[in-house]
Amino acid sequence: MAHSERHEEVLAGLALGMPPGADGPELEAHRSRGCPRCDEILAQMELAATALAAEAGAVVPPDALRARILSSLGPSRASRESYSGPLAWRVAAAAAALLLVAVGLDDARLRREREDLRSRSAQLAGRLQTAETELAQRVLRARVLESDDVRMLTLGGKGPQPNAQARVFWSARARRGVLVAGQLAPLPPDRQYELWVFLKGKPVAAGVFDADAQGRALFESTDFPEPQAQNFAVTIEPRGGVSAPTGPIVLVGSPQQG
Amino acid sequence: MSQKRDDPDRAVMLRVEAREADALGELYDRLGGRLLGLARRIVGVGGEAEEVVQEVFLHAWRAASSFDPTRGSVLTWLLIATRSRAIDRLRSRRSASRPETRSLDELGEGPAAGDDVEANSSVRQWATLCRSAIRQLPEDQRRALELAYFEGLTQEEIAARTASPLGTVKTRVRLGLMKLREHMRPYWESGTHGA
Repeated sequence: MAHSERHEEVLAGLALGMPPGADGPELEAHRSRGCPRCDEILAQMELAATALAAEAGAVVPPDALRARILSSLGPSRASRESYSGPLAWRVAAAAAALLLVAVGLDDARLRREREDLRSRSAQLAGRLQTAETELAQRVLRARVLESDDVRMLTLGGKGPQPNAQARVFWSARARRGVLVAGQLAPLPPDRQYELWVFLKGKPVAAGVFDADAQGRALFESTDFPEPQAQNFAVTIEPRGGVSAPTGPIVLVGSPQQG
Repeated sequence: MSQKRDDPDRAVMLRVEAREADALGELYDRLGGRLLGLARRIVGVGGEAEEVVQEVFLHAWRAASSFDPTRGSVLTWLLIATRSRAIDRLRSRRSASRPETRSLDELGEGPAAGDDVEANSSVRQWATLCRSAIRQLPEDQRRALELAYFEGLTQEEIAARTASPLGTVKTRVRLGLMKLREHMRPYWESGTHGA
């Protein structure tokens, strides 16, 4: 049976946690034959229903509840397994520091650094934030790097930024990729770098990112559209990104280099 | 579903996944007030609402790796968990034939919920947009959705409560959610916040 409003009525109930009722078996049979529209509508209705929570407002969260929650956790993990692995690639010192975090620095060092920083004066708050950011970024990259199908491709500078360099690590199974770049030029506020995945020669948008003041960038893409990535490129595009590249290519790779 | 690139709570969530208790405390500071507001709206002001929120944060601690940023923001994930647990408790009361009316403790001294105490600017922005979307719904659709969302009523129960035909209620619920979806879609697709 074709997708119908009747199906959507049942989906609306499911999105609100209602039992499927008498129409449930028919919807189940319909979806068992494959209906991407039903899947999409249900996911979006569930998200839309959450908007109703805004009507409940917010209260000041009690400190006592916070303390109860944290005291009920048990011991938190002291450290994670460290990563080690050969990476011959070297970019500029700033980008290399990021790569070191990606492949070698372990959480324990970051945690120690964070705890040390906590004991110092407020003047060191900036470094504390940096350590915490690195730790979060490391966990983020671990999602890709821990995958046993992780692949890597080097990207070289091109066009207006010949000195830019980058590497892309990606996992087809995780459908995620991480780009680590260095020596990127600062961009105007209305521009961003955009990563492209080439599939059968065609570029597919994989997300936008900014470089920091030192020209470094660390970007995780969960937009990998297909597992069969063949090449990558980075262009300069209007902030927010575009669906097809319009600006100059500043980084590009080739499968042979990887 | 659009990818949410800039959910400000996501970095905190990654640290929770790395088993940092401090990060869970930070998540509580950022979102706990919103979750408690929702729990209180459903189960009433009292210890049960705080129990719900405690369960939700323990769930976030134990199941952090199950959070999928492509399906919504951290706030969305936790709101769904909060609402689900609170509605379970509400239905449990009903099945145990406990009075529907809430106790004096539950109705008592708790502070009123509102957006003025929301310190998290991105959540405040999300709440403003949601309220705007809800205000644009026809009254009968909004009422049907509220009965379902906050009281956990089925479509049959909503029909009985509002003295409306069941088919009409089904249509109201479907259209209401579809309109909310359309109002919220630009926000989801902007990627400025994932809720």
